[in-house]
Amino acid sequence: MQTSDLLNSYSIDPGTWDEMYSGLDVRGQYRGVVDFMQQMSIEELNKKEELAKRLFMSQGITFTVYSSGEGIEKIFPFDIIPRIITAAEWTYIEEGIRQRLKALNLFLKDVYSNQFILNDGIVPVETVYSCPHYLREMHGFHVPHDLYVHIAGIDLIRDHDGTFYILEDNLRTPSGVSYMLENREITKRIFPDLLPGNNVRSVTEYPNILHRNLVSLSPRQTANPTVVVLTPGIYNSAYFEHTTLARLMGVELVEGRDLVIDNHRVFMKTTTGLQQVDVIYRRVDDEFLDPLVFNPDSMLGVAGIMSAYRKGNVAIVNAIGNGVADDKAIYTYVPAMIRYYLNEEPILKNVPTYQLGNADEREYVFTSMQKMVIKKTNESGGYGMLMGSSASDEEISRYKMEILKDPRQYIAQPIINLSSAPCYMNGRLKPRRIDLRPYALCGPDDIQIVPGGLTRVALREGSLVVNSSQGGGSKDTWVLAEHSEAARSAIV
Amino acid sequence: MLSRVADSLYWMSRYMERADGILRMLKINYASSQDDIQEFSWKPVLRIFTYLDEEGATKLAHNTRAVLQYMVTDRENNNSVLNIITRARENARSVQDHITKELWQCLNDFYHTIRDEKMNRDLQKDDPISILDVLIKQGLIYFGTMDVTMARGEGYAFINIGKYLERGVQSADILDVKFSDRNYDFSKTDTPYWKYLLLSISGYELYLKTYRSGFDAPNVVEQTVLNEDFPRSILHSVDRMQRYFERLKSERNQEAFRKIEFMIGRIRSKVRYSTVESIMAHGLHTYLLGIKEDLYEVGNGLNQHYFAYT
Repeated sequence: MQTSDLLNSYSIDPGTWDEMYSGLDVRGQYRGVVDFMQQMSIEELNKKEELAKRLFMSQGITFTVYSSGEGIEKIFPFDIIPRIITAAEWTYIEEGIRQRLKALNLFLKDVYSNQFILNDGIVPVETVYSCPHYLREMHGFHVPHDLYVHIAGIDLIRDHDGTFYILEDNLRTPSGVSYMLENREITKRIFPDLLPGNNVRSVTEYPNILHRNLVSLSPRQTANPTVVVLTPGIYNSAYFEHTTLARLMGVELVEGRDLVIDNHRVFMKTTTGLQQVDVIYRRVDDEFLDPLVFNPDSMLGVAGIMSAYRKGNVAIVNAIGNGVADDKAIYTYVPAMIRYYLNEEPILKNVPTYQLGNADEREYVFTSMQKMVIKKTNESGGYGMLMGSSASDEEISRYKMEILKDPRQYIAQPIINLSSAPCYMNGRLKPRRIDLRPYALCGPDDIQIVPGGLTRVALREGSLVVNSSQGGGSKDTWVLAEHSEAARSAIV
Repeated sequence: MLSRVADSLYWMSRYMERADGILRMLKINYASSQDDIQEFSWKPVLRIFTYLDEEGATKLAHNTRAVLQYMVTDRENNNSVLNIITRARENARSVQDHITKELWQCLNDFYHTIRDEKMNRDLQKDDPISILDVLIKQGLIYFGTMDVTMARGEGYAFINIGKYLERGVQSADILDVKFSDRNYDFSKTDTPYWKYLLLSISGYELYLKTYRSGFDAPNVVEQTVLNEDFPRSILHSVDRMQRYFERLKSERNQEAFRKIEFMIGRIRSKVRYSTVESIMAHGLHTYLLGIKEDLYEVGNGLNQHYFAYT
């Protein structure tokens, strides 16, 4: 089979925005990739796919599944066809995310200090106080530069008309950025010359920006502050990412057991004695961070780290207690926050969201369950979710019972028909649903969003769930530079 | 450097050296088993490199394929090459930010190669030497990548300390078991036996150049313990260990440094100022046992003074 057949046999799901095709025409941004693929045979494409798999495996870009006492290495499925974002789309996304993060950061500062937004009734007090991630321990404590969110992964989706919506704000320990970086490296290997030919913007600055931001947070005035990445350890599924970030920034990767607190200062145990730590980029969740304050059974954290933090002797990134701002029930109020704190209209839209804690909204949702997706407010990774469209009546009524036990725990959203992008599967091109997670880095002076991100793919046909824990894969994500499009349209 | 990191680098290195030793041993002993079918027994090898009891070793001693399978790919054998490589890789995985990406990839490739089901199948029917060669080469890529890509810092010192400590122990072990197999009888001239022993530690050519005249047990001891130029000799291993340990000298942690420096210095003197005659007079077994105990002592010292983190 020739690749031209490959393209001809591609058919878009009705009522769906496809990233590559508009009707029967290839969108401008995909022209270069389509031309390139047309020069290749199926055999060659299969070889490329094989090479990609081998590269992931041999570089150990894997996660380990433990079964019957033995570790089995798995790779996150990678689709070889890139997802492409135009310069104009990117500018819009970038502005929208910047605005949103500004507001969310102000919200965190407010909610842990004066609580103006609660007193003014913009966000209901009970929604905040009932959030399990709202931590009293953070109240009245000033974080350096009033910065709570240093690293954010904002999930975006597109509806049938191509409109972007914010699906989720991940403000705690968003993961996946190593896949943004590694997917790009793989593309360089499997499609030589394709990237420069298409004017794709580079993502390699990410670790440098992150490192610069982390250094700037050091509480000690020293030329060379000690920055570390704190990992739960090699059994964590994101361990590869932790070591990648440490390696790319040239900083130490530590585990809880490498650290010790003395006189409210954090030290790491080295071969030549203790060395003070100034900044911790932690990939350990709040509740495991300090067994003296949070979960007492935690073996992953460091006893006393919270006191060192509150004394201002160590910077912790992201700040503790951020979960109150990316809670799915709080999500509803983010547009209101933007208006309240910034006096601006939100650039990026929220998906309409019903609070099941609210009796009227719950009643409405219960009458139209088939059109809804129900999510638990404090779960992520696609767990505890119900897709009304594909659930049986029995499942729905069982789920309703669950909801009624603790309605605050649930929200409902109309099912958004995610946009699709072509995926290369068994020698054929198939449309699969995708989302987008760009990574934003907020420093004391600016918010930078590296042009790219992680595009997650729901690999099962018709599935709208892209989470890797639910059988999702990923794509390299290209953001095109401005002039390339101008040049291209000039030629056309 | 983090204590945990130093610990992992040290163990990664010890395991890789151990795997290399076992693979070479297996290759030459297999060749030997093809040379004299009547006499050959795997027992000495099983006694050095496995935890099998007398009965278990006897059962396997004359079944070459079973021994290879047990020692290379058996998941139940704690000291199979597969399990050793898995441990080396686990250690490397937790210190990926301290070794080069190339080194990590090479270890990772080794791991995937040896875990491949095909490896196990081929070991049952194909030419074992070819298969062992594939694995030995993977190890050589590791040693080469280490040399070409790794920075000569503290981590490199710990890696080499581990490597030479393991090698010293291994050479002592090999000599001891091989001689015990001959009841420490030094008068017996048994050409193929010593030839294969030397081959298994890549010392055959050197032996021929040094001694020329036939095989003589005391000469074998001399080369394996005392020859400075022989990379697998105990003296060479201890020399290197000392050299790399000196690099850890720093303003901080002086007390720990002095303690271990003393231990290593003592072993080195003990070996450096031994002769074959003095070793014989002392009793080879007692002598080797003493060296091994001293080396383990250094390992414990490092553990206590440099690696302790829990």
